[in-house]
Amino acid sequence: MNISRMKGKVRAWFSKPANVILLVFLILLTVLTLYPLITMLLETVTVHLGREARLAKLPVGSKTLFHFARLFATSENKYSWITFYQPLLNTLAVSVSASAIAILFGGTVAFLVTRTNLKYKKFVSAVFTFPYIMPSWTLALFWETFFKNVMIGPKTSNGIMASVFGIYMPEWFVYGGFPIALVLGLHYAPFAYILIGGILRNMDANLEEAATILKTSRMRIIRKITLPIVRPAMLSTFLLVFASSMSAYSVPVFLGSPVRYYVLSTTMKSLMDSYKGQAYIVVAVMILFGVGILLLNQAVTNSRKQFTTVTGKSGQISKINLGKANRPIALLLVLILLLVAVVPLITFALESVIIKAGDYSLSNMTLDFWIGKDTTQWLDQGDSTGILLNPKVWSALGNSLGLAVTCSVVAGTCGILVGYGVSKRRGSKLASWVNNLSFFPYLMPSLAFGAIYLAMASGIPWLGGFLLMALAGSIKYLPFASRSGVNAMLQLSAEIEEAALITGVPWWKRMIRVIFPIQKSSFLSGYLLPMVSCMRELSLFVLIVPTSNWLLTTMLMQYSEKGWAQFGNAINLLIIIVVLIVNFTVNKLTGASIDKGVGG
Amino acid sequence: MPEIILKNVTKRFGKFAAVENLNLVIENNAFITVLGPSGCGKTTTLRMVAGLETPTDGTISIDGTVVFDADKGINLAPNKRDVGFLFQNYALWPHMTVYQNIAFGLENLKWDKKRIRARVDELLALLKIEEFEGRYPSELSGGQQQRVAIARTLAPGPKVLFMDEPLSNLDAKLRMEMRTELKRLHRDTDSTFVYVTHDQLEAMTLSTRVCIMEKGILQQYAPPLEMYNNPANRFVADFMGNPTMNFIDGSLGADGTLRFGSLKARFQPESGTMPAAGDVTVGIRPEYIDIEEDGPLEAEIYSTLPSGMETTVKMHTGGMPLTAVVFGDVDYAVDSKVRFSIHKLGILFDKKTGMNLGRGSLEEPANA
Repeated sequence: MNISRMKGKVRAWFSKPANVILLVFLILLTVLTLYPLITMLLETVTVHLGREARLAKLPVGSKTLFHFARLFATSENKYSWITFYQPLLNTLAVSVSASAIAILFGGTVAFLVTRTNLKYKKFVSAVFTFPYIMPSWTLALFWETFFKNVMIGPKTSNGIMASVFGIYMPEWFVYGGFPIALVLGLHYAPFAYILIGGILRNMDANLEEAATILKTSRMRIIRKITLPIVRPAMLSTFLLVFASSMSAYSVPVFLGSPVRYYVLSTTMKSLMDSYKGQAYIVVAVMILFGVGILLLNQAVTNSRKQFTTVTGKSGQISKINLGKANRPIALLLVLILLLVAVVPLITFALESVIIKAGDYSLSNMTLDFWIGKDTTQWLDQGDSTGILLNPKVWSALGNSLGLAVTCSVVAGTCGILVGYGVSKRRGSKLASWVNNLSFFPYLMPSLAFGAIYLAMASGIPWLGGFLLMALAGSIKYLPFASRSGVNAMLQLSAEIEEAALITGVPWWKRMIRVIFPIQKSSFLSGYLLPMVSCMRELSLFVLIVPTSNWLLTTMLMQYSEKGWAQFGNAINLLIIIVVLIVNFTVNKLTGASIDKGVGG
Repeated sequence: MPEIILKNVTKRFGKFAAVENLNLVIENNAFITVLGPSGCGKTTTLRMVAGLETPTDGTISIDGTVVFDADKGINLAPNKRDVGFLFQNYALWPHMTVYQNIAFGLENLKWDKKRIRARVDELLALLKIEEFEGRYPSELSGGQQQRVAIARTLAPGPKVLFMDEPLSNLDAKLRMEMRTELKRLHRDTDSTFVYVTHDQLEAMTLSTRVCIMEKGILQQYAPPLEMYNNPANRFVADFMGNPTMNFIDGSLGADGTLRFGSLKARFQPESGTMPAAGDVTVGIRPEYIDIEEDGPLEAEIYSTLPSGMETTVKMHTGGMPLTAVVFGDVDYAVDSKVRFSIHKLGILFDKKTGMNLGRGSLEEPANA
């Protein structure tokens, strides 16, 4: 092969924007995901300053396998059992149950909404994604404040259930594996609703009609035709919820730690303080599980190809008539949704106005924690004004919004570019590498991701504060954006762009004038999801935030730790309201919705 | 002066060769169809000439300019090739009105507003879609969308227009209508058309020359009627014409005695030179078989397919199936006996290679 021929090939390769984009992202993502990963793996064999060095009796910075031996094989005081194996089993139990709950609940609702004549469908489908939009600790916090009592757990005070209704719930119901799995299951049920509902909605009605013609009974059709067709979506949901539950941190902190019920993420956090090496091993184990799940998910989505004929165009399917059961089922569903989506908000509002915990009489209420000029009369310490008059709250809100917008712009734009590159070069090794790399951050537990970035940035003086948080946030949320970017681009036939290419429209103009406007709502969803996630993010930023009152979420954490319940609840409500407002404004204005970025 | 020249153009996807060593000269103002079954490399060929696909090897020049040369590393971008491309699914931009769709390319060439307005109006009139100017593509029928796509492609006045099965999504009646329009358009626009299709009727009726491909290899490149009457090989003969040609295996003797199926005849080559004796396949067009009362041959009716203007007659002679076409509306009772003759030429193909050995008349045919 001669030189000009080579040159021509290279030039032809680089003249395609998709190739350049993929190459840039391959390098960028390798640096930003693989490099931290390697740094982290090195930490697992390094001796760190402090208690760790004293325990290992080794010089700081030396390489050792001591942490592995300590974490995996120390029988003394049942150390390994308590710090690793028990939390691992708890994690598996919680994640599997959460996935099962999510699929059962979300899948059932999806079926009811798409396949039956259920009443109040509009309300159900509008409210169902609420729990996912709200921060995951919302439900956990609600669960605790609602059911806690002085007989169990930390035995601090009575919640609404005990003080208003006089019912004292048993400990297993309020704290531990059961509520954690339930709360996570409810939080991620929208995954199941969106994924399974999507298939059910697009499923060619002819498939079921053909069975009806052959005199198959309704139940048999569901069992033999409908369920097998949605099975891949159910598996995808299972794996996604499993991965998300495994790395969840705030829910087990609120509902597990008070009764010493630990999972991997909470053990990791407590190890991080004095035994970094072991903490990073726990992270590695979690990532290993994540990679396994990613591979499984890929195998599942690949075998899903056999169902591509499912997206038919045939008309309305005959809906199952629920008959007399319709109203009871619908009311039950509305009740559950109110409990999950609306009651928490009311609870937080209540908790933010009562003066003495546990007393819900009107005389015990004040708006001072919101708009009071001086709250020292109610709280012996604490900030002296209500949160809406507190400049620190406003600046934290500004910071949170600023960070959310930055992360969303960076992640959303990168997501579109990755989507473009991957879809144009579909099937090539380069494309599948970039595609997998862009999904990888999803598998890294947020807390660990933050810790790794902190470690990575410690050697780079200009990387810190806002810049570091923005970088970590953008990369962490890239998976959402790149998913919706890839999906949007795959729906667009290549001819649409080629028609512009042939008349000499430059690449950037093709993107802005042709591709973006056509898939506007999908692309904007790729911006919306990172924004919403970032607004309510705690664990990713908790280690890298400059001061704890810098972001709203970390401020909330700080207030909770200090026991200023009213301020905490008020800020929590503020965060939820801001997130809901952002979500619904963007949704109404542009048609973007978080549905489009989930799963895939 | 020849307009488009392809030399040794090859395209491989991994080990699979989509187009193999293609040589083609497309004259100025020609209307060329690239014809073949799906997956034969015809669309790839078109996309390579337009610049949407990069060939693995070879050179392509348009109007004297080398637009691609693998050895010299030349590869002009599609927009530098001065070509238009009409896509199978129209690829109209759904977020732009008809006017905006047509004008977009012109804005891009930095035409001034007045000139764009005038040009778009001209095209709207040419394609009879004036009243749809303000509509969005989703508000148009398939045929109307097709016209908009054509207008958009023609707007910058490309010297060469590539079309990738542009009529395959239309219903039969509309397709016929658009064929007429395209042929007319070719004359009115004075440009070179390269048209990809798998429909042999489209190739026959539209083009000045047909390029027929199979498995990435050029089979024949000739005017449509020549291809019909003197196909280079059995594949071409089979692909051109509907109903398809009758192929009957047989053998040719040195003296010209032809035995094929249950029939025999004396082969009289048109060129005067008798092909070498051996195993052959005899090809007879259905319209060359005449059903007539005093015909020398006898057959049994298997079924008749009347379509109004003509009737396709499937029959068996000595157990061997034969297809004939009769003008007009005739109906024969199934299993009835008819007499027939072969009044025109047959073509001999080499039984092994399928190559055309020569045309000739089949004298004194008889049932063997």
